[in-house]
Amino acid sequence: MAGWLAKERIVAPPGFNRWLVPPAALAIHLSIGMAYGLSVFWLPLSRAIGITAPAAGDWKVSTLGWTFSLGIVFLGLSAAAFGRWLEREGPRKAGVAAAFCWGGGFAIGALAVHLHNIWLLYLGLGIIGGCGLGLGYISPVSTLIKWFPDRRGMATGMAIMGFGGGAMIGSPLANILMNHFKTATSVGVRETFLTMGAIYFVAMLAGAFGYRLPPPGWQPAGWAPPQQANVMITARQVHVSEAWRTPQFWLLWTVLCMNVSAGIGVINMASPMLQEVFGGRLIAAAGALKDLSDAQKVQVATIGAGFAALLSLFNIAGRFFWASLSDYLGRKRTYFVFFALGFVLYALAPTAGAAGTVPLFVAIFCIILTMYGGGFATIPAYLADMFGVVHVGAIHGRLLTAWSTAGVLGPVLVNYIREYQIGRGVPPAQAYTTTMYILAALLVVGFFANLMVRPVAERYFMSDVQLAEERRKAHEGGAAR
Amino acid sequence: MTRRTGWLVAALAWALVGIPLCWGVYKTLQTAVKLFR
Repeated sequence: MAGWLAKERIVAPPGFNRWLVPPAALAIHLSIGMAYGLSVFWLPLSRAIGITAPAAGDWKVSTLGWTFSLGIVFLGLSAAAFGRWLEREGPRKAGVAAAFCWGGGFAIGALAVHLHNIWLLYLGLGIIGGCGLGLGYISPVSTLIKWFPDRRGMATGMAIMGFGGGAMIGSPLANILMNHFKTATSVGVRETFLTMGAIYFVAMLAGAFGYRLPPPGWQPAGWAPPQQANVMITARQVHVSEAWRTPQFWLLWTVLCMNVSAGIGVINMASPMLQEVFGGRLIAAAGALKDLSDAQKVQVATIGAGFAALLSLFNIAGRFFWASLSDYLGRKRTYFVFFALGFVLYALAPTAGAAGTVPLFVAIFCIILTMYGGGFATIPAYLADMFGVVHVGAIHGRLLTAWSTAGVLGPVLVNYIREYQIGRGVPPAQAYTTTMYILAALLVVGFFANLMVRPVAERYFMSDVQLAEERRKAHEGGAAR
Repeated sequence: MTRRTGWLVAALAWALVGIPLCWGVYKTLQTAVKLFR
C-alpha cells in the first residue's frame, strides 16, 4: 500500500495525457466542497430527539454551526502544518490522507448523532474533517501548476472551482438521502452521514490515485518558457521556510484576507439585504418587509433563497473565469481589477438599493461574487509566479491561514456593525449601507497591499546546491522545471 | 497507453466529475430561477 502512495510511483509515463490530472483534482475538491453545504444538516439535527420539533436536549442550530467554523479553522491550520509534508511525500499520499479524514469525519459524525454527543461531532466533522479539507484543498495545487506551466491560473482555477461547486451537489444529495432514510424515530442524518462519507471516501481515493507527477524536465509539447523575461514571474525557487519571511508573502496574505473577508461579509448579508431593502417590491406588494403578512414573507424569503443560489453559481464561475483570465492579464493586474472594480461595486450597492433597481442590485452582487471566487482561484498561480513551483503547495498552505482569519473577521464585522447601528436606531434596511462601505474599505487595504507587491529579493532564493538538496529530499531528480 | 486511449480515458474522467457537477448546477438553477418569477 505504502509503495502505491510513494511519490516515485506516480511519475507519469511518456505520452501521459495531462488533462487527466484536473478531473482527479476536481474529484477531491468537489467532495471537500460539501463543507459549504453542511448547514443543510443543522435544521434536521436541531430536532434529532424531538423528530418533528425541537425537544429538551436537542442541539441549537447556533451550536451546530460551530462545526463549520471549526472545519474552516482546521482547514487553514492543517494546510499550513502539512504543506511541507505534502511537498515531500507527494500529492497521492496527501489525497489519501484527506479521504480518510473527510470520509472518516462523516463516519464519526454519524456516531456523534447516534450517541447525541456534540463534542464528538466537533471532533469528527470539525477537527478531523477540517484536516481533510486542508490536505485535500492543497493536494493538487503544485501538481497542476507543474503540469500546466503555460496556464497555471486556469489549471488551479479548475480545481478550486470544484471546491465552490461541492455544496451544489452535496446539499441536494443530502436532502434526497435524509428524506430516504428518515423514519418515525429518526431524522435520517446518521445514515446520510454514513452514506455521504462512503461516497466522498471513494471519490477522493479515486482522485488521489489519479494524481500523476510530470517527469523531471517535462514541458507541454510545442511550448517553451517565454524568452522575454517577466519580472513578476520568477524562474527560481524560494524555500517554504524562507517564503514567510518575505514581505511578498504577507502582502499576498493581506490581499487574500481582505478579498475573502469582504466576500464572506457580502455572502452573509446579500440575501437578507435584498429582502429588507426591497421588501414588498420583490413581490409587487406595498410596504417594508416587517409590514408584510407571513405568507408574503415566505414569498420574499423564497426569492432571497433564489438570489443566494444565483450568487453561488457566479462564485464558482468566477473561480474559473478570473483564474484563466489571469494567465493573460497577469496576477497583479487581476487583483487590481478585483479591488478597484470591487470597491466601486461595494460602494454602489447601497445606491442601487436606494434607487429601487433590483436588476442592477442583483448584477452588482453577482459580479462581486465572481471576484470573491476568483480571489481564491488565482492566488496559487500568484504564489507560483512570486516564489517558484517547488514549494508552492506548502506556501499556499501557509497562506490559507488568511482564509481562516477572514472566516472570523468577515462575519464578525458584518454582524457587529449591523447590531451596533440597529441599536442606535438606524432602520434595518439602511443599516447595510455603512457595512458595505466598511467592506469597501477592506478592499482599499487589499488594493494597496497588492500594489506594493514587487519581485522577491535575491537573498530569499535557494542556491543551486540548496535546490538540489531539496529535490533529493523530495525524491525528485532532473533539472528545474 | 496510446494517444487515442489517453484521450478516451480523459473524456471518461471528465464525465465522471462533470455529470455530478452539471446535476448540481441544474439543481441550483432550479432554485435561482425563483428570483426571476
